[in-house]
Amino acid sequence: MDGSVKLDEVVMRFGDFTAIERTSLEIASGEFFSFLGPSGCGKTTILNMISGFLTPSDGQVMIGGEPMAGVPVNHRPTAMIFQNLALFPLMTVYENIEFGLEVRGVDKRKRREASERLLALVALEGSGSKLVTELSGGQKQRIAIARALAVEPRVLLLDEPLSALDLKLRQHMRAELKAIQRKTGITFIYITHDQGEALTMSDRVAVMSAGRIQQVTDPMTLYRAPLTGFVASFVGENNRLEVKVVDRQGPRVRLDGGALGPLMGSAGEDVVLANGQAAALYVRPEHLRPVDDGYTGPRLETTIEAVHFEGAWLMLETRLDASGEKLRVQLGSDLAKQAAGMLEPGRQVGFGYDPEEAVVLPDDGSPVVDEATGEVVETSAKGEAEAGGAHVSSA
Amino acid sequence: MFRQLSERFGHPLAMAILTLLGMWLIVMVTLPQLQMIDYSFRPNLLPAQRGGPEDGWTLGNYVTLFDNEIHRAIFFKTLWSSVLVTLLTLVVSYPLAYYLAKVATPRQAALCILLLIIPFWINEILRTYSWFIILAFRGPLNEILLALGLIERPIRFLSGDAGVMVGMVYAYILFMVFPLYNAIESLDDNQIRAARDLGAGSIRTHRRIVIPHAKPGIATGCIMTFMLAAGSYAVPALLGSPGSRWFTQIIYNWFFEGGNWNQGAAYAFLLLVLCIGFMSLVMKFFKVGLGDIAK
Amino acid sequence: MSSQRLLAFGLRFYITVFFLYLFLPLMVMAAATFNDSRFPTITPWDGTTLRWFGELAADGGMWQALSNSLLVAAGVLCLAVPIGIACALFLNTVSSRGKPFIYALILSPLLTPGVIIGISTLIFWRQFGVSGGIFLTVLGQATFIAAYVMLMVMARLQRFDRTMERAALDLGASQWQMFRRILLPYLKPAILSAAVIAFLQSFENYNTTLFVVGYDTTLTVYIASKVRTGLTPAVNALGLILILITVALAIAYEVKRRREQAALARLARV
Repeated sequence: MDGSVKLDEVVMRFGDFTAIERTSLEIASGEFFSFLGPSGCGKTTILNMISGFLTPSDGQVMIGGEPMAGVPVNHRPTAMIFQNLALFPLMTVYENIEFGLEVRGVDKRKRREASERLLALVALEGSGSKLVTELSGGQKQRIAIARALAVEPRVLLLDEPLSALDLKLRQHMRAELKAIQRKTGITFIYITHDQGEALTMSDRVAVMSAGRIQQVTDPMTLYRAPLTGFVASFVGENNRLEVKVVDRQGPRVRLDGGALGPLMGSAGEDVVLANGQAAALYVRPEHLRPVDDGYTGPRLETTIEAVHFEGAWLMLETRLDASGEKLRVQLGSDLAKQAAGMLEPGRQVGFGYDPEEAVVLPDDGSPVVDEATGEVVETSAKGEAEAGGAHVSSA
Repeated sequence: MFRQLSERFGHPLAMAILTLLGMWLIVMVTLPQLQMIDYSFRPNLLPAQRGGPEDGWTLGNYVTLFDNEIHRAIFFKTLWSSVLVTLLTLVVSYPLAYYLAKVATPRQAALCILLLIIPFWINEILRTYSWFIILAFRGPLNEILLALGLIERPIRFLSGDAGVMVGMVYAYILFMVFPLYNAIESLDDNQIRAARDLGAGSIRTHRRIVIPHAKPGIATGCIMTFMLAAGSYAVPALLGSPGSRWFTQIIYNWFFEGGNWNQGAAYAFLLLVLCIGFMSLVMKFFKVGLGDIAK
Repeated sequence: MSSQRLLAFGLRFYITVFFLYLFLPLMVMAAATFNDSRFPTITPWDGTTLRWFGELAADGGMWQALSNSLLVAAGVLCLAVPIGIACALFLNTVSSRGKPFIYALILSPLLTPGVIIGISTLIFWRQFGVSGGIFLTVLGQATFIAAYVMLMVMARLQRFDRTMERAALDLGASQWQMFRRILLPYLKPAILSAAVIAFLQSFENYNTTLFVVGYDTTLTVYIASKVRTGLTPAVNALGLILILITVALAIAYEVKRRREQAALARLARV
């Protein structure tokens, strides 16, 4: 059972609007693959092209090596879990799960066997005769999964299925989804705007923005070595500093931080940097730590503006003395304990970081950040054009 | 159109939908109306004369109406009385609709609506017939009035237009109450409270807040009531007398007593134009569209 | 404050009078059934009798008219319900430039006087040699009753979550299976209500029927002719029976509707 999915030079246009720029991508059979991006980035469009609800304007979708052009939704070897689940409210749990088999003409005894087996898989034995309206949110979630698995799809498509659940349940369902995926060995293609979901469950993640795939890689690499400014800002939290490249030796890059003085960072092999080029240095809040005067590495002098106690860590809002830009610092509880006396609003503190953990990328324009939520919305168009294209087909 | 339908329902079903819709709209709705209009512009001929030199379009049937003083008078009386019935129904219905929508508790409102629906489901003929009994020369109304000493001799309620109009208000009131109720119900209670808070009296609150909001409902109610009143045959036939004939009765006579269908078609078309005219006027006056009416 | 209270009292008084106005005539008519008088009246009261029920039962014309009415109503249901459903599906699915015009056309029978629908039907079918009778009555009534069915089905269809359709297709259902198993069961309550309303509309229709019924008679036409000619309290007996059936139907319908609403409220909470 080959559940591989291939997007071959796929383009999707709606009138004048291009929802998906030319994209190629291969997802291996049995992989847990996520599309991560803000709303409107095109991830649902990709899902709809794979499921057959949309036909690409150009290029083609292949599943298990077979081209899907002309294959309608109801004949594709895929099944979808919808955002609102779309369970049939007038039917019982059994009828919901067996629907796909019923329309295929499977006889009643075999259908019932299959639904019992699936109910066991999702740990809901004995609730087959209930109406779906009698179930709790988490139970519905599982029935939706069982219903989709009943048709034995080669690829399961999940369209933000956890977004309606509360936090606790959401985290629990992550583990459960992952477990079901392992047990069944089916390819899971998962759509989400929640990076926590994407990072914890996926084998690989494709980060999308404005109809382009920005980077495709495993969660760890995505976090440690973002390839575009968008990815650096969207995945996890990052402080962005504008710098100039002085020179580069292997991964190590010496930088001119202007008023901030000399800085250091590192860049991946595929990142092209010319000496003297404008660039951006990304330092994650948790990679910063307070340093004393004797510290010789790159350091950032700040004044603390606010201190937030978050239980396991402290979040500091500071401002760079030299440039007036904001810098966020996250300290683990042990570090916070050591530096207890220093961390008060108004105190001047120097922070250092390990250059290996600070990423340098060509300056592709600042991402647009939603003022209210602090979330990254979209990168500027200029950044897209330069950064996006080069890495899309590298998957 | 077919593409969208077949994408959603598949070819056979899309075909069935379009066939049913097309058959209804063309064979049952459009063509008969066009045929009626065509009829109204042709002279009444014997079968042998059809296709002959006299068979052509003419305004003769309409000229007949304008030349016939009695028919003309009945036409205008029907128009005027229907407007009156409409206004009367509106005035009677408004307080009730307001009560149902804004004053009554949900339980009270539900009960009242059920009570309103029951007569609405009873035959128009029977509803009218019950007034026939009440208004009869020796009926209970006359008896009560006599007993109270308000009149000395029984009144012939059933020989004028008044009886017809009372019957019509009674028969069509629900077509006014429900659109009004639906419209007023959708008004946010806080708007009424805010107006009160700002010192507006009851009348001003209604004039400035409730009535403007209820416009689509008022328009729908008026259009329906007028159309039913002007097009009513049952009520004038039962509660009227030969002296208080309605335009529909004249039309009926052309068809089944005069045997001149062409003439009848012309009269019927005028009635239709009257209703469409009233509807356009009301829609323009209240600035509502067809979409608002269908609710 | 006291003027407010006066107003509230006035409103309540008005509501009471209104419902008296609504029901007294029907009660008078019902009461007249039991009056042992040759004419249908309650004044003077000539003694209580049940004989008018007997006379009604012995009236062959009435039974013939009743069976015609049922026949017509059955025909109207067969025609108007599918048409109304098709209309609603069409309006819910299609979006094109011609749609407002078609929408206006679909609504037009509701805004046309019944007599005119009757007349145009009568004239149209004459050229095919069809004259007034049961068949034309069915056609004439179905013309506007279909639009009522459309409105009622449409009201429910607009609340349908189309993701259900996508889910059904995604699970491998054909469009027909989706329609049969998902959409139709969802619409069923509205279709049943529409069928009840359509039946009642047909059963009590007079204005349209009058022009297309020819030498046949439906119950409503029969009652009207009785009222105008040989009037006896037997008509009241018939009216009373019809009222009782209607009230029973109305209550059953209301109970069913409330249950559905409660069920819908439960669904909404899900």
